[in-house]
Amino acid sequence: MTESAVGATVEAFGLTDRGLVRDGNEDHFIIAHVNKTIDVRQTSMSSRAMPQEFSGVAGYLLAVADGVGGGPQGELASERTLSALLSYVGKAATCFQGLDADAEHELMDKLEAVVHGVHAELLAEYGGVTSRLPATTLTLVLLVWPRAYHVQVGDSRAYVRRGGRLQRLTRDQNLGEFMVSLGAWTDDQARMASTAETLSSAIGGSELEPVVGLIDLAPGDSLMLCTDGLTKHVSDEEIAGALAKPQSAEETSRKLVSDALAAGGTDNVTVIVVRTTPT
Amino acid sequence: MLQKKICMVGMFGTGKTCLVQRYVHSLFSVKYLTTVGVKIDRREVQASGQPVMLMLWDLEGRDDTRDINTSYLKGAHGVLYVVDGTRRDTFDKMFEIRDLVTRTIGNVASVVALNKSDLTEQWQLKPADERRLADKGCFSLLTSAKSGVGVEAAFQRLADTIVAPTGAQR
Repeated sequence: MTESAVGATVEAFGLTDRGLVRDGNEDHFIIAHVNKTIDVRQTSMSSRAMPQEFSGVAGYLLAVADGVGGGPQGELASERTLSALLSYVGKAATCFQGLDADAEHELMDKLEAVVHGVHAELLAEYGGVTSRLPATTLTLVLLVWPRAYHVQVGDSRAYVRRGGRLQRLTRDQNLGEFMVSLGAWTDDQARMASTAETLSSAIGGSELEPVVGLIDLAPGDSLMLCTDGLTKHVSDEEIAGALAKPQSAEETSRKLVSDALAAGGTDNVTVIVVRTTPT
Repeated sequence: MLQKKICMVGMFGTGKTCLVQRYVHSLFSVKYLTTVGVKIDRREVQASGQPVMLMLWDLEGRDDTRDINTSYLKGAHGVLYVVDGTRRDTFDKMFEIRDLVTRTIGNVASVVALNKSDLTEQWQLKPADERRLADKGCFSLLTSAKSGVGVEAAFQRLADTIVAPTGAQR
């Protein structure tokens, strides 16, 4: 997918793979253009007089979700979450440009509400017993150029590469990260602990604490979203190296997934790479 | 419910994220976590007898004021300037940052948090520094995300000032 936003061309590509060990793939991803619906076919007005808010791409929705629990239930949770997200963004598509502070808060509240909504639906469906719920992570980015709003649940990740430097936009919501942050475990202890990967927050989990943030992108920045099937095999340094190469979003996605498989592919692996270039 | 945007600004590593974490989640993280872009949290408080939702924009720390993305400040009702009391340069730079904020969004409600007050042996600020802040019309107080000292008071002061009736002191 390549499209021009004001000031930048945005190219995105996503890829998911079952991996080499799992029987099925519980990951899902989505890359969507959020378009306006008015399509002026003919007019006597000059292009200068045409309202810009009705032309071009309003935004881009990018999301990865990693179903938890094994089997169809995990896949159901990740698929349903992305479906609900699409539904909301589709309804709100015309309201994204020129957001003031209140409207931005409303947008972020609603993205968060989608997450809580899917969680509540799953809870109702499974009789309120969280231990039986299908669960999923979610890392989503809504890019309304240049602003990228992100919402994070669980241990899928979003990275940004800017000026040769790779930085994580999200923090893993799992027991290992939580214990290290409190000083109760060292990084080494977290690496060794069998419970370190237990999610401390998940849609359908016993705890749900979506984390919301945003960043203004600049032409030349790259974004990468992934499930932990990538990061358990491919280090941040290797990710930085892959994103540094002057390749397309598709080539970079394929390279990263291939690296995860070559390193063992013990989990489903999903990657979305976004490249931006000046127009 | 009233919703008010508060921006946390200051140099890199002054403890902005830790203050928000203490205020919103009653937690203190010993691991340093860099904020990239903005992290947003919220907490409901009572101010002037009414509930107010504080939207806390934790801006990434920047050592060079020119690198601060001023578009993150737009629409803010209040600003919490965070100074690391164990690093003198973060105090001096705060005035430069404050000028930038004022040029961008005007003279909104603000509080200066002199943070990491638990680190008494490394403390580099003097009583004269606090007087300098007061002379410039800045309300300041000692805070510690680790112990919790001053954290509630800092955010409550901001909330009270923001929703105070017109004409009340900022």
